[in-house]
Amino acid sequence: MITEVKDSLLKAYLEEIESYDEILDANQQVKPYWKKMFDTLEKLGMEQLVVRSKELTNKLQENGVTYNVYGSSEVSARPWQLDPIPFLLEKSEWDYIAKGLKQRAMVLDLMLKDIYGPQLLLKESVLPPELIYDNCGFLRSCMDVKLACEKQLLIYGVDIARGPDGRMWVVDNRTQAPSGSGYALENRTVMSAILPELTTGMTVNRLSPFFKTFHKEVTALTGKSREHPTIVYLTPGSGNETYFEHAYLASYLGYTLVQGDDLVVRDGFVWLRSIDGLEKVDVIIRRVDDDWCDPLELREDSRLGIPGLLQAMRSGKVAVVNTPGAGVLENSGLLAFMGAACRFFLKEELILPSIATWWCGHKHELNYVIENIPRLIIKKANRKQIFRSVYGRLLTPEQRMELIQQILQSPHEYVAQEEIGLSTTPSLVNGKLVPRLAALRAYLVANGDDYMVMQGGLTRSSAVKGRFEVSHQHGGCSKDTWIVSDTEIAQKEIRIEMPKESVHHHTSLPSRSAENLFWVGRYAERTMSTTKYIKLLINALHESVKFGNASKSEHIEILLKGLTHLTLTYPGFLDTEKPDLLANPYQEIHKIIYDLKILGSVASSTEAFLKGVISVSDKWNHDTWRAIYSIENTFKKIKRPDEAYSNSNTMQKIMDKLHARLFTFYGIVADTMPRDSGYYLFESGKLIERILLKISTIRACFSFKSESYVENELIEAVLINHHLLIYYRQLYKSNLNLEAMLDMIFLETKLPYSLAFQLDELGRYLSELPKPLYTERLNQAQKAVLQAGLKIKLADVSQMIIFEQDTLYRVHLDSLLAEVFDLILSVNNSLTNLYFTHTEIQHSFLSSTENLSQNEI
Amino acid sequence: MKYNLIHKTSYKYHETVNNYHSLVCLKPKDLEGQICDSFKLTITPSPNEIIERKDYFGNTVHYFSIHVPHQELIVQAVSKVQSLPKIQKNISTVSVQDCKNILWNNSELKVELLQYMLQSPFINWDAEIQEFALSCLQGNIVLYEGVMRLCHKIFKEFKFVSNATSIYTPIKTVLKERRGVCQDFSHLAIACLRSLGLAARYVSGYIETLPPIGQQKLQGSDASHAWISVYIPEMGWCEFDPTNDMIPQERHIITAYGRDYSDVAPLKGVIFSSGGHQLSVSVDVIPV
Repeated sequence: MITEVKDSLLKAYLEEIESYDEILDANQQVKPYWKKMFDTLEKLGMEQLVVRSKELTNKLQENGVTYNVYGSSEVSARPWQLDPIPFLLEKSEWDYIAKGLKQRAMVLDLMLKDIYGPQLLLKESVLPPELIYDNCGFLRSCMDVKLACEKQLLIYGVDIARGPDGRMWVVDNRTQAPSGSGYALENRTVMSAILPELTTGMTVNRLSPFFKTFHKEVTALTGKSREHPTIVYLTPGSGNETYFEHAYLASYLGYTLVQGDDLVVRDGFVWLRSIDGLEKVDVIIRRVDDDWCDPLELREDSRLGIPGLLQAMRSGKVAVVNTPGAGVLENSGLLAFMGAACRFFLKEELILPSIATWWCGHKHELNYVIENIPRLIIKKANRKQIFRSVYGRLLTPEQRMELIQQILQSPHEYVAQEEIGLSTTPSLVNGKLVPRLAALRAYLVANGDDYMVMQGGLTRSSAVKGRFEVSHQHGGCSKDTWIVSDTEIAQKEIRIEMPKESVHHHTSLPSRSAENLFWVGRYAERTMSTTKYIKLLINALHESVKFGNASKSEHIEILLKGLTHLTLTYPGFLDTEKPDLLANPYQEIHKIIYDLKILGSVASSTEAFLKGVISVSDKWNHDTWRAIYSIENTFKKIKRPDEAYSNSNTMQKIMDKLHARLFTFYGIVADTMPRDSGYYLFESGKLIERILLKISTIRACFSFKSESYVENELIEAVLINHHLLIYYRQLYKSNLNLEAMLDMIFLETKLPYSLAFQLDELGRYLSELPKPLYTERLNQAQKAVLQAGLKIKLADVSQMIIFEQDTLYRVHLDSLLAEVFDLILSVNNSLTNLYFTHTEIQHSFLSSTENLSQNEI
Repeated sequence: MKYNLIHKTSYKYHETVNNYHSLVCLKPKDLEGQICDSFKLTITPSPNEIIERKDYFGNTVHYFSIHVPHQELIVQAVSKVQSLPKIQKNISTVSVQDCKNILWNNSELKVELLQYMLQSPFINWDAEIQEFALSCLQGNIVLYEGVMRLCHKIFKEFKFVSNATSIYTPIKTVLKERRGVCQDFSHLAIACLRSLGLAARYVSGYIETLPPIGQQKLQGSDASHAWISVYIPEMGWCEFDPTNDMIPQERHIITAYGRDYSDVAPLKGVIFSSGGHQLSVSVDVIPV
């Protein structure tokens, strides 16, 4: 009885199995490791497993793990899905698979060298020439571009799945810039944090040796010429589907994350545009596809690459991993000839079979395909051509005829693969363990004259029963992949000799990241100041309704107009045609909070802040990400407010929440961010925005004299806006006095929200930024801040409150603040000129021979 | 014949350009019927380095980049070339159909020629283009004569119009509108030949023009030119000029062979700028 209860999960799962499953061996017995896994799951209990699964999802979200999904009007970042049940492979079986994968990598590397070299494969008729000359991955300008090392295929990703015969089959090759290894690493990190007990009774191999070997190989590419090689990780940008991984791996490996226009080819070398000037780049790890790498010699419309890169590679001045041109190996037609290539190069048979593939360019195969379409999946040989794989069995007779006609038009463009049943593996779906189809992407990296296989990989399982839609794009789910054995000895950690490196004390900040950090600071503060203001405004509105009377609402009008000035959402409350807006202000406030389309609204500032944050993903630590994630959660609500959000109390609450979360972000940044140029630019951006917005509010409230009872209310509001009301009361008790207030918020250098303090701080931050050579002691930005600071400090506050009797205008106050405002605004432009220069757009053109003269013979 | 060749390209930019990268394919080839005695590339503003190499097709290309702010760029290529009388090979009587069979079934030939038989960036075809091709190149016709007919047909039926087309004008538009310049006619002829399973490539070069009788030749009035080269069994690569309906002779000077224009563009460039530019090209082919 007891044993039965103990096995209930396993029993239930066994009943669900419809085809062959990973947990069963050839004799239909449960494999020992799966037995252990089920025992552990049993102990844990389903309820707990579901809880942990939710924790996994939360943890991944907190860590900012996303996968961008294309298709909808805007790119939306989808949280990464991780199944709590890992994919288990026993080490002895894995060793055999790894041997087969290494052999594949060897053959592909030799093929790559041959295709961009002697082309014996063609000359000896091992490969049909169509698979090279009609292969859009074959890039003629890459013919003489080589890496200075033994292996040309440095990293290799390969999709494998278990076929009906119980063997692992190779399904597809990724040779340009294989994605997923970073997600595999993150999956492992999160799994070991949330579900450590699942490893009970087994030892799981580590992933880190793979990355260490990768780093070792990459460093070796730089030769011994440089003590501190600069290695950059080239991403297409934050819109890319796997951008998270680019930022994640760059920071894991310690490389600088860059985009194409952060780099420039000059004097034969590749340079990184950093705020310290140009810095020589030794190795580029690219996540940009082959033909986008160099608009001069490859796709001329590419904005993702670096013009002149191929020439720099030819001269050996920079190494790019994998070398552009490697995509030639991704052609599906080649899968049909892997066996032949293996025999040709290695004089041996393939260890792992490929999924049965027929290339239609040969008569015999073509006929076979036409006769057997219902059992086959039809694809284009060239991956890049937009053509969704066709499942033969799903076609009507007419559609089948149409497809055959299409294939007969140019047979060499088509490939057919057998539709095989793949194995299923336990997955947690809706609180139940059920079998789902799964496939594994394995990763290899060159290791001297050999390859090293990652001890694990990225398993993806299908979201839907019986369907094989594992790609994340289609809603598939990922799994951690465990290579398991029982003894520690069996997996004695491979010691990797790392090249001796002295510590490099300087890390460069690309100009683009610098600019983004600056704007993150500005948008953060814009959101912060606006929420703070709306909070005090709604508070004032509430008070006037509850405790005041209509005649005392003049200060409200001024504050409402102040909101329009602050957010630059004109005409807003200044609209003379809609005077009733002032009496019923919530509709407008609603827009200023929630409407994404209005520039200056809380929603749009928060969005700009978040976008900026993502584009410098590699700058934030784990705790900062958690704060960012919480801001993002609030943003989601602000972006799509439901009925309840129209209530002023709810508005108040949500502003409060956003404000508090931004403060948390500020706090973590202030407490943990390294004091480098990036930090100082972030802080400068924040302060510039703060000074501008605080000035805007002071001007809106006091440029014109109001009745003293109105002015008292405004003084209180402005003090709150500067976080100074309590402090003020301690000094002046309840005596609200404009001169005293201005004295405090202008001049008191001990108060973080006084103008004097902020201007001093801004000056200090600017002095910490790198100084271009041969310039004056103070740059334009520093001079402007110094000037602004002096203007404030020399201000005679008693003069400031004077107003013109007939107009009530406070000319001294207003013109001083206007001058300071313009000076600080000019700092923004000066910084742009000094550190960020991205205003140029790249143009490619071919000259043409059109001007043939008319008198042609 | 001996020629002095001057090919001058200048760009005027509306805004200052700080970075420019370029690939130049302007050096006349050394061939059986042609000797390039000298070649000099002069670029203003002067780049730090000009790198010469042979490309995949064996053409000479030069790479340079400029990183000083400039508003005008001049690329001037000056060469001295001897163009020798072309030896007329015995005309092969192989038919269109036989040629096709040889190309697709002789595996050694196929490996060598396949890239000139398939589609390429600027060469593709449809039924209309194929039909146009068939009007000159029926299967039983002698290939050499068929190509002559095709060139003649293009020469007769198409109007030479400058600036009506660009390099991006699709071949089918050229066929429909019956007008274009030498590269359009060459692309069309190549597409026709490949649509029938034959091998054809693009030739980039120059032609010496003659002034109208009784007039002085104008400076800069010559032009870079384009024509085609067709693979004919027993003869090898044979050149034809569809724009002028002739077999290229001494007045044709060759700089490069490729699958189409994209492989052999005389000047390719990438600039970083916020404004537009104006281009002017002048070519002189001066007999000496």
